[in-house]
Amino acid sequence: MEIRELRLEDLPVLMELERSLFGTESWLESSMKAELTNPNTHYLGVFDPDLVGYAGLSSVPASFSADIQTIGVRQSEQGKGLGRKLMELLMKKALALGAEQVLLEVKADNDSAIALYKSLGFEQIDLRKRYYQPSGTDALVMRAKIRQPIVLGIESSCDETGVGIVQGNRLLANALASSMDEHAKYGGVVPEVAARAHLESIGQVLDKALLEAGISIDKVDAIAVANGPGLAGALMVGIGAAKGLAVAHNLPIYAVNHLVGHVGADVLERGSVQLPTIALLVSGGHTSLLLVRDLLEDVELLGETIDDAAGEAFDKVARVLGLPYPGGPQIDKLALTGNPKAIRFPRGLTLPKDMEKHRYNFSFSGLKTAVARHVEKAEDQGLELNHADVAASFREAVVDVLISKAVAACKAHGVNRLLLGGGVVANARLREYAQEVCDQEGIELRIPRFSLCTDNGAMIASLGAQLIMNGRKPSSLGFSAESTLDVTEVQAS
Amino acid sequence: MLLAIDSSAGTSAAVFSGNKLLSKLLFEDPFGHAENIGEAISQALSEAGISASELEAVAIGRGPAPYTGLRVGMAAGISLARTLKLDLHGVMVLDAIAHGVKGNVVVTTDAKRGELFYARYQDGEKVSGPTVISPSELMIPEGHQHLTQSSDAEAVGRYAIAALAKGVDLSDVSALYLRSADVSPSKGKRVSG
Repeated sequence: MEIRELRLEDLPVLMELERSLFGTESWLESSMKAELTNPNTHYLGVFDPDLVGYAGLSSVPASFSADIQTIGVRQSEQGKGLGRKLMELLMKKALALGAEQVLLEVKADNDSAIALYKSLGFEQIDLRKRYYQPSGTDALVMRAKIRQPIVLGIESSCDETGVGIVQGNRLLANALASSMDEHAKYGGVVPEVAARAHLESIGQVLDKALLEAGISIDKVDAIAVANGPGLAGALMVGIGAAKGLAVAHNLPIYAVNHLVGHVGADVLERGSVQLPTIALLVSGGHTSLLLVRDLLEDVELLGETIDDAAGEAFDKVARVLGLPYPGGPQIDKLALTGNPKAIRFPRGLTLPKDMEKHRYNFSFSGLKTAVARHVEKAEDQGLELNHADVAASFREAVVDVLISKAVAACKAHGVNRLLLGGGVVANARLREYAQEVCDQEGIELRIPRFSLCTDNGAMIASLGAQLIMNGRKPSSLGFSAESTLDVTEVQAS
Repeated sequence: MLLAIDSSAGTSAAVFSGNKLLSKLLFEDPFGHAENIGEAISQALSEAGISASELEAVAIGRGPAPYTGLRVGMAAGISLARTLKLDLHGVMVLDAIAHGVKGNVVVTTDAKRGELFYARYQDGEKVSGPTVISPSELMIPEGHQHLTQSSDAEAVGRYAIAALAKGVDLSDVSALYLRSADVSPSKGKRVSG
């Protein structure tokens, strides 16, 4: 006996069984076909070796609700627990999808089915008169509640101390403290300064998150923490705090990948990450291009920066132009009045010779040097420098490379979705250009709200929740900080 | 019940009932703080036969010590105490090392980068320090005992219990670095010659 997801090619046998079970009240083949091809439905079939049972679940992402669409078991196989098995699998699926309740309709005279549903936690919430036609039988509407796990997540991989709380796919709190101001005088993130700031603020941020979620710590089911990639000393503060919480409250702990956390943030916006997707993560610490086929199982690094991160390039160029840290917003503002085509700055790793080894890699240090040279040359020759043009042209070069490579990855892999994440997403031109190119190319662009794009604890909590909802075991208590953690390592064992 | 945590050298946790040490766990690996902190606390609690909810107070070693490891134990103590709503006490670890030692004492511990953390005591009471010195500056005055062992959770806990009984203020739970973050703002260099 095998239970597997039903596919379109199963339609003929499925219809045969449907008709034998429900006769004149069976679904039309066209309806059943629509069910099997709908991305929001999940149909399971029991084969022994022919199809002997099936059941379907529907859940619209972010609706927090799921419906049992249908369930049927061949007469000769009834009473053997197959219906229960199918229902249990669908309930598990509903949990994984973030549903907080599962609804179903059942014929009012179907005592054995009603008994089964009751034993699975369903209660009658409504009665629909003459729902089934042509027989005119009443339907009971039943509901089972699902308690989604409450997860508290800690993020401390760079200069943001984040504590987020989610329940399943629902965002409850996203508290943050940033040490950005302290780094301003150095022109960039200083690891020791960041780590010190994490320790100073972790207690308050923790309190703030619990207050924002309106829950006490004993309602929390699990702790999640980013254990890499990032600054080792900074990560360790979050890990220390997370382990302290786990031990204090006897909670399972999930050590998760910071970069995959960025991708998973969209779950909190849309109830799911539409897959497969290309993800471009750009911040002061990372510039990574990922191909995500499955959030928990299959994340592939297509390319990353071989020198400076994109955000770092903004900071460095801002300094060359005499602008304060962080450079991104400053350059964005200055570029408003500049001509992006005034100076043709180099696009790193885009020449034909780079394509073999660095098709999806990025390099921004040459660009930064080119900007510095341009500025120095003007100063040396006593020429008046149009700072706005420099800012606009530099920004255009960064945005051009980022989006061109991301879109090239979409096309090469036949994936028509692009997800953006990371603090550089705040850049107005990046968002605008990404939208422009994606519209042209027929690519669906996803940009979660800014507070979920920058480093934050909610995305870590959310990835931890996804692991729990999909039945993953916790990490062992002895995991470490991994500053260069690979994206394939979604969870530490 | 008091839980003491110290990651100023190794990673350790200890549980006290009144003055009595119920359990002590020490992981000596000087680089394994993030890995070991959970097990240290968890095992100290289970060896003491208590659950975290039975704790009344937490004492943490606040340095001076190499920073990266020190912060791990402090962060764990802070999150634990804060969410269990327990009193949190900060212990300067050189005080913990000198605690209970009669007479004149100089305590030094490894401050890395070829330097030492230093403090001087008389009958357990601090006379000077803590400060960072180079080994060439180290003078052990006549009649002084030189303690060079590192601190651990047992020492931190014993000190905290004694100090609190005497009414010493241990409310400062910030890390004691004794050194700045060791960076200076970059001036920005020319790239063209």
